[in-house]
Amino acid sequence: MEQDEMWADALLRDLPSEPAGPALQARILADFDRTAGRRAGGVAGWMARMRDAVWPGVPLWRPAGALAFALALGVLTGIYLPLEETAEQTTAIALDEAPSFDLGDAS
Amino acid sequence: MFDPDTDLVKRTGQGDRAAAQALMARHLPKMLTLARRMLGGQAEAEDAVQDAFMKLWTHAARWEPGKAKFETWLYRVTMNKCYDRLRKRPGASLDEAAEVADPTPAADSVLETSELGSAIEAALQALPERQRAAILLCHHQEMGNIEAAEVLGISVEALESLLARGRRALRARLGHLKE
Repeated sequence: MEQDEMWADALLRDLPSEPAGPALQARILADFDRTAGRRAGGVAGWMARMRDAVWPGVPLWRPAGALAFALALGVLTGIYLPLEETAEQTTAIALDEAPSFDLGDAS
Repeated sequence: MFDPDTDLVKRTGQGDRAAAQALMARHLPKMLTLARRMLGGQAEAEDAVQDAFMKLWTHAARWEPGKAKFETWLYRVTMNKCYDRLRKRPGASLDEAAEVADPTPAADSVLETSELGSAIEAALQALPERQRAAILLCHHQEMGNIEAAEVLGISVEALESLLARGRRALRARLGHLKE
């Protein structure tokens, strides 16, 4: 029994350890940053929580970029696309206008 | 009980990135080695270790010093992540593992591979998961029996039984290679 123990010690002691690559370390630290960000208070913490709710697991610039792009698209569309008046809108405008006849000029 | 990691875990729980980095540098190589030998593949081992660290990051703020040694807890988490992955493998279960036929090559072909490291790897992979875990913790990670039993969540007697069977099985397969 003791012989087996010594034999196994000698056998496995010299097995090489696995080096941890920089990519794995970066992944693990990115997890830490996300977790710490969620826990943080104030604006940074709120933004991190929002980011995780909207788009979990990505850096902050992605949802921020998507929001900025959507805003820009909306504004440009509003500026450059002419608004076509529908029949319904024309009626509504006509009803909103003040009457053009004069009550004092009934004769 | 003195725990060299207590301060680092506390600071990590407070969001200190340098402390988190120091904890990672201290434990990652051993955890990765353990996971690699448990799972047999580098990519899967890296995923298991990343999952284990994720659990550490989320639990660090609630860590209670003195309740358990941090390293023991971390090894236990890593081991559980490895077991989760082994269970997800098609047709695998920890209980059935002991009954699985021996996939190692015959002694003659092992001799032909000539590389002792590969032969040891193959022999380790052929062990049932719990025997492999016990052997790795005690003989490769040089953990004491009490701590290894805590990591595996079993009694010291059960650990010794696993160790005895594991050593016998390894010696039966590799005794001719390394005496």
